[in-house]
Parts: sequence; structure tokens; C-alpha cells
Amino acid sequence: MTTKSLKKINLTISGMTCASCVVHVESALKGVPGVEGATVNLATGKAGVEYDPSVTAVRAMKDEVDAIGYGVVLDVVQFHVLGMMGSHCEEIIKKALADVPGVYRVVVSSSTESARIEYIRDLVTPAEIRGLIQGLGYAVAEKAEGQGALDREREAREREVRRQLVNMAIAWPLGILVMLGTFQPYWFLPSIVPSWLNNKVLLFFLTTPIVVGPGRQFFVNSWNGLRRGITDMNLLYATGIGAAYLIAVINTFWPQAGFGGREATFYEASALLTAFIVLGRYLEAVTRGRTSEAIRRLMKLQPKRARVFRDGQEMEVTAEEVQVGDLVLVRPGESIPVDGVVEEGYSSVDQSMVTGESIPVEKKAGDEVIGGTMNKTGAFKFRATRVGSETALAQIIKLVEEAQLSRAPIQALADKVAGHFILGVHALALAVFLFWFFLGYSQWFTPESRLMLTPYTLAEMGVFGFALLVSMTVLIISCPCAVGLATPAAIMAGTGKAAEHGILFKGGDAVEATSKVRFVIFDKTGTLTRGEPSVTDVLALGSTEEEVLRLAACAERGSEHPLGEAIVREAQARSLRLDEPQEFNAVPGHGIEARVNGTQVVLGNRRLMEQRGVSLDGVLSQVERLEEDGKTVMMVAATGRLVGLVAVADTLKETSAQAVKSLQRMGIKVAMITGDNRRTANAIARKLGIDRVLAEVLPEDKAIEVKKLQAEGYKVAMVGDGINDAPALAQADAGIAIGSGTDVAKETGHVILIKDDLMDVIAAVQVSRRTMRLVRENLAWAFGYNTLAIPLGAGLIYPFFAQVVSPELAALLMAVSSLSVTLNTQRMRGYVPPIRRAGRRREAHAGEQALQQAGRRTA
Amino acid sequence: MKRVGLVSLPIYTSMALLVSGAFLGITVAGDYTWVARAGGAAWVFGLSMIVLMPIVIPAVKKRMGA
Repeated sequence: MTTKSLKKINLTISGMTCASCVVHVESALKGVPGVEGATVNLATGKAGVEYDPSVTAVRAMKDEVDAIGYGVVLDVVQFHVLGMMGSHCEEIIKKALADVPGVYRVVVSSSTESARIEYIRDLVTPAEIRGLIQGLGYAVAEKAEGQGALDREREAREREVRRQLVNMAIAWPLGILVMLGTFQPYWFLPSIVPSWLNNKVLLFFLTTPIVVGPGRQFFVNSWNGLRRGITDMNLLYATGIGAAYLIAVINTFWPQAGFGGREATFYEASALLTAFIVLGRYLEAVTRGRTSEAIRRLMKLQPKRARVFRDGQEMEVTAEEVQVGDLVLVRPGESIPVDGVVEEGYSSVDQSMVTGESIPVEKKAGDEVIGGTMNKTGAFKFRATRVGSETALAQIIKLVEEAQLSRAPIQALADKVAGHFILGVHALALAVFLFWFFLGYSQWFTPESRLMLTPYTLAEMGVFGFALLVSMTVLIISCPCAVGLATPAAIMAGTGKAAEHGILFKGGDAVEATSKVRFVIFDKTGTLTRGEPSVTDVLALGSTEEEVLRLAACAERGSEHPLGEAIVREAQARSLRLDEPQEFNAVPGHGIEARVNGTQVVLGNRRLMEQRGVSLDGVLSQVERLEEDGKTVMMVAATGRLVGLVAVADTLKETSAQAVKSLQRMGIKVAMITGDNRRTANAIARKLGIDRVLAEVLPEDKAIEVKKLQAEGYKVAMVGDGINDAPALAQADAGIAIGSGTDVAKETGHVILIKDDLMDVIAAVQVSRRTMRLVRENLAWAFGYNTLAIPLGAGLIYPFFAQVVSPELAALLMAVSSLSVTLNTQRMRGYVPPIRRAGRRREAHAGEQALQQAGRRTA
Repeated sequence: MKRVGLVSLPIYTSMALLVSGAFLGITVAGDYTWVARAGGAAWVFGLSMIVLMPIVIPAVKKRMGA
């Protein structure tokens, strides 16, 4: 049996406008042999494709997508290529690049010494392409006008906006003229509109450019889909516009044909229908661009240039050319080009754009710096550790992009409905036509019939014309554009907003799961606590605290035990002078013995003291009190006499208690899970106000505990270290990996918190709840519209009011529905999680106080 | 893909013709003009094609293992 090695890429698709376009593109991609899976997101305009590179290539996917009327947006890089000697050299470069996965088209010109390469950035980088050409023996320099993926994407969107603007410029003025001409005999119009504008032949000449110009896209796209067995929105438009236009033409040139005669030439229906649809498309193209603002902002952070030292020379290169191991110089006010470790210099760096931290972080030798963040005060040199697609920023962008591509479970239903909707709508239109043809017309038709909100009477309308009109209106009014956009637009806005705050959701399902969480389990060590023990109490019996600590630290100097290290750290922090111990002896499980400056020191637990004959009279009650608090107590004896106690414990993080309290206030239950003994665990839990403690749980059993809570009916979030707690994180409904820092890719879990701050757990829940509220609102707008509009369009109220919805009114309602969804989504732009708003207020208050104090001191 | 299209074409076309033929048959029994009958049959044929194509083509594709 052979195993397939599948590859995953994200393609940017242009030309998608509605939910059925998603189905359309997905079907086309899935139809390419070798493609194992495809997920298309309308809001991001991206397609995630999983494929077998041994069977197919991007070329085949692009060709298939192009063939159904959409496009794959490619990245473009241009190089100056020196050393080519004519067409032979051009062919060599073309052939060499043709086999590179991800390279789509290569144009090489020896006369202009240039090469233009269209490629997919997920598969190949400009640096690799450049390296390949250089490997062939040519000198290569990147042209300054080479544009990144961001520019390409923006360009494609702007092209679509421009295209629809041109369409509007044709459709609207002509459409208004046609409308004025059609309605010329009614209302007050005869006094201001000349009667010749009502000439049907003139109206034909005014309408035709709209149908064959801006309306052409609907006919071409629907035909391209239909011949592959795919129906989409374009088909609804095409049948609606086409039928209205055809009837008007027949009534103009063959008025006796029985379609209602010259008084039933609905040229304005096809003209305004096209105009409204084009308006809808224009608005969607504009607003869709805005919803992906967050990811664009992240992409903009990627610096373009870097200053590196090579061969002892400082030189400026593109950020893409920086290699691991390069020494990079960053001056004040410059962006850090790639990830690395500071070697020389000191500065403060604003990391807010990546981690969400509002206060700049100090950087000195040995500290990590993140590419894309902003250097504030000083200059420093750092050694590049991660470049290109490996940088934290690139990983975050990729993660957010993938999250925006994935679907929330709530979306699955919406997509399913929208995907089959078009077919259903056509079946409904057929049923409605048959109903009004055979039954409705003869039962209810009256000569006073009108088109809603128009002066039109349908008096001369025959059975066919009337049934056709209602059937056509159903086609237009049922368009589920808004349904397709409702969920992805909200998920995209939510995940983007979360990323701005250093919270990375791995997908729409993670957003949905987090919003439903009713129980949060925190791992203790490293999550609620700092994960490294530190000295909490020093008790001196006769001498000073410093002397007790110094003795203990001197004895522990040679120790590698975490408790010993904590004591040495504390002594160093207090600047105590430490001497080297002599005769160091570790007593496994009990403590150590050492000689310090001639004094015999014993440091350890009660049993060691008893073994060495050290009296513990008078301190036992204090020892027990400290142990009750979850601390490990070590006794210090010098020359056989107890001189003091040193208590060591894993300390709580600053925000742990506050985070637990905030969650409880939100109605979420909190538990703590740990491998520690119950007494220590209870002590920590007491301090935090956690009443459910899962103690003495082995790492591999943590997932079982999560499962038990799930069996109790809770939606459970597990917060822990993304690497050690992987099984529990995976088992939880929402696995939240905390404090991953910059190495995002390594993390398991559904949600990744870049910062080591538990308040972000609350922020994650708040963002997810807000996002899901937005999804529900959007779906209500979209489905609500269809639920109300379809019966109206099918003529439900006609028997009572003798009025039917006109096709152009249906188109207007449809455009308004899409617009309401996109505008509603825009509300997420200014959203700040409430917990963060409170945090900012606290920071601002602290800042004000500091300023006031400084002012008083100056005075 | 092309082969699937060729095999599907006569299937959905004949089914749509059948539906519009039935429509025409019913109208003949009633009091309708020929324009209404012919126009109606054409509209029914068009909509039937649109409904049938996305049903028939994938079914044929599945059957042919394409």
C-alpha cells in the first residue's frame, strides 16, 4: 500500500460574489484529479486546497477555476537577470522554473534583461526562485516594483470594484432613463418627461446595452457553471434579466403575440434589475475588502528592508533575503525585520501589534525579538533565528488565514442551505409558474392588478405573462447572497479582532466552541503558577534572615535541584555574598549536607533533621502552617543546631486570581488540575477561590478528567501548556494553549494565546461570544429576508391586494439584505473585549497617577 | 469531463422535454392561446433543464466514476 503525501495551499480566488460561488469553486477544485479536499471562504476570497502533488499541480487547479469564470490571484515577482545571451538563455530559465512547484507562468526577456514570474507564495518564495536562476549562472537583482501578495490581493479587489463601477456607470444612467421613459404617462411625469422617451423602440435601444454590457457577466458565468452541472446566483440573475428583457422585446416588436402587448414592456425591469445587482456586487466588493482589514494590518507589519552585516560590511537587503544566522542592525524607530536574539545593545520594543501588550518591552542581550515589531528607543544588533515563513508574524498570519478559511459548525448548515438553494429556487419558480398558470390566474386575476410601488396596471396581462412575471420575481427575490456572507464575514472579523489582541483562534469551530464554554479547567503548574519555585518565606531562629538564606544558598550552590536553584536565585537577588561549599553531599529525597566556611550545614526536610539529631522544638507549628499553605519547607541547621526555615513554593501569576474571579462572574465554573498532592493543590486553589480541584492527576490522565466533565454535560475549555497538556487540550471542546510566545506553530489546542496572561482567556471567551452573536444576527438578517421575501414574491398577498412584487423591487430588497449583513459585520471593527477595556482604564489611571506623582516631586 | 457532458446531455434534455410536453398536453385540454401554450412550454422546458442539469450531471459522473 502506498501512502499519499498531501500538500495544503491557500489560493486567492477572484470573482466570487455569493454562497453558491463557494459551492461552484469548491466543486471545480474537487473535480481536479489529485485534489483531496477544498474549502472556500467567500469573505476572505480564499480556497484551502489539499492535494497530491504527484498527481496534480496548481496549474490544473487554476485552469479549472478560470474555466468556470473565476480567477486565481497569483503573486508576481520581477527580476533583473544579467548575463543572458539570447533566446536560448530565456528557454533555459523558463525550463528550469517550469518544474518548480508553485511557479505558474514565466516570462523572460533577454533584450530587457528581465524575468517576470507568477507564482503561489505558499509553495515557493522569491528568494528560492532567485536562487534557482542564480544557480543557472545568471546575476539576479529584484526589481523595486516587485509586489507582495498583499498588493496583489488589493489589486484584484480594486479591479473588481473598478469593474463594477464601470458597470454601474452604464447601468444606472441608462436604467434611470428607461424607468423615466416607461413611467412617462404616469404620476406627474408627463409634465417633466418628454413623451418620446416612452417610445418602446427607443427603450429597447436604451435597455439593450445594459443587458449585453453589465448584464453579460451573469449570462457567461451561469452558462460556464451550468455546463458543468453547477447552478449559482448568476443563473438567477440571468433567467430573471433574460426573461424580462425577452418579454419586453416580444411586446415591442410583436405586440399581438399575447404577452400583454405594448403596455407590458417591462424594459425597466431588466434595466433596473441589472443596475441593482451590479450595485449589490459593488457594495460587496468594497465591504468584503474591509472585513479582511485585520489580516491586512498584520501583513503590513512585515518589514520590507533589513540592515545586515555580511563580510564585516553593513548592507541593506530585502527582508526576504535575511538568512538564519545573519547579524541584523536595528535603529530607533525601525521595524525589526525577522525573529532573533539580541546580541548587543539595549532598547525597548513595542510588541503590541503582535502580542497585544500595550507597554513596550525592554530588550537586552539574550532576549528574543519578534519580526514586525517596532524598535522604540535604542539601537541594537541581533542574530536572526527565524526568517521568511518561519517567523512568528508569518506563522500568526498563516494561522489567522487558515482560521478564516475554516468553517464554524453553524456555517455548515447555512452553506448547505445556500448551496442547494439555487436549485430549490428554480424548482420553486417552476412550481409557482405552474400554480399561477393553471390555477391562480383564473381564480384571482383582476384587471386592477398592479406591480407593488409602481403605477403599472397589469390589466392586459395574459395568463402566461402573469405566471411568468411571478415566477421570475421568485427567482430574483430568493437570491441567498446574504446567507453565504453572514457567517464567514463575522468569523473573519472576529478572528481578525482576536489576533489584534494576541488571541489566535485556529478556526471558526474554535470560535464557536469557545463561545459555548461553561467550564474552564486550568492546569496548575506553569499556567496558574509561574512554573518555577521561588522562596516565599525565610524564618530566622536567633540570627538574621539574610544569614539563614546565605548559609542555605552557599550549601546549595552545587545543587541542580529546582528547590536549591530557587534558594540560590533568591540569595543572588538579595545580593548576598555566596561562598563555594566544601564536601557537598546530596541525600536523595531528603536534602543536602555541605561544609560552608568550616561550618557543617544540613538543609532538608524533617526526616533528615531527625536523622542528624537536630531538635525541631518550637518550630513544628510554623512548619505545619507553611505546609498547609502548599509550601515546601526546608530546615537549615548549622553545626547540629536549627538556625532557620526556608519555604519554597511555586508562586501564582499576577493575574491568576483576577482571571478566575472574572470567569466565575461570567457564570463559568472553574476547576484546577494538577499532578501535585492534594494538600498543595488545595492550598493554591484556596488562594484563587477555586472550589473544584483535580489533584494527583498524571499528565496522561488529564484528558480523562476533561472527558468526565464533558460527560456531566459541560462544554469544557482546558487552559494549559500547549506542548505538555496536548491530549487534554485536544479532548476539551476548546483547548486553550497559553503563553506560547512566538513559536505559534508548535502549539496544539484550538486557541493560542501569545502572551502569558490569563486575562486573555476571558478576552478569548468574550471575543468568541461577540463573534457568535454577530453570526446569529447576520443569519437572522439573511434568512429573515428570504423567509419574508419568498412568499411575497410568489404572490401570496396577491389574492388580497391584487399587487405583485416587481422584479426590480425584488432586486432592491436583495441588495439591501446583503448590505445589512456587511454593515452589521463592520460593527466588529471598533470592538474591544470588555476585560481589555477595564485593563486599559487601569493602565491609564496608573499612568495618570504616576504623572501626578512625578509632577509633585518636580514641584 | 467532456464525456460526462455528452452522456448527460440526452438524459436531462429528454427529461425536460418530457416535462414541457406534459405541460403542453395539459394546456391543450384547457382554454389557452397558442402563445401561452408555447411560451409556457418554453419556460417550463428552460426551468426543467436548469433543475435537471445539476442533478443528472453529477449522477452520471458518479456512475462513470469520473
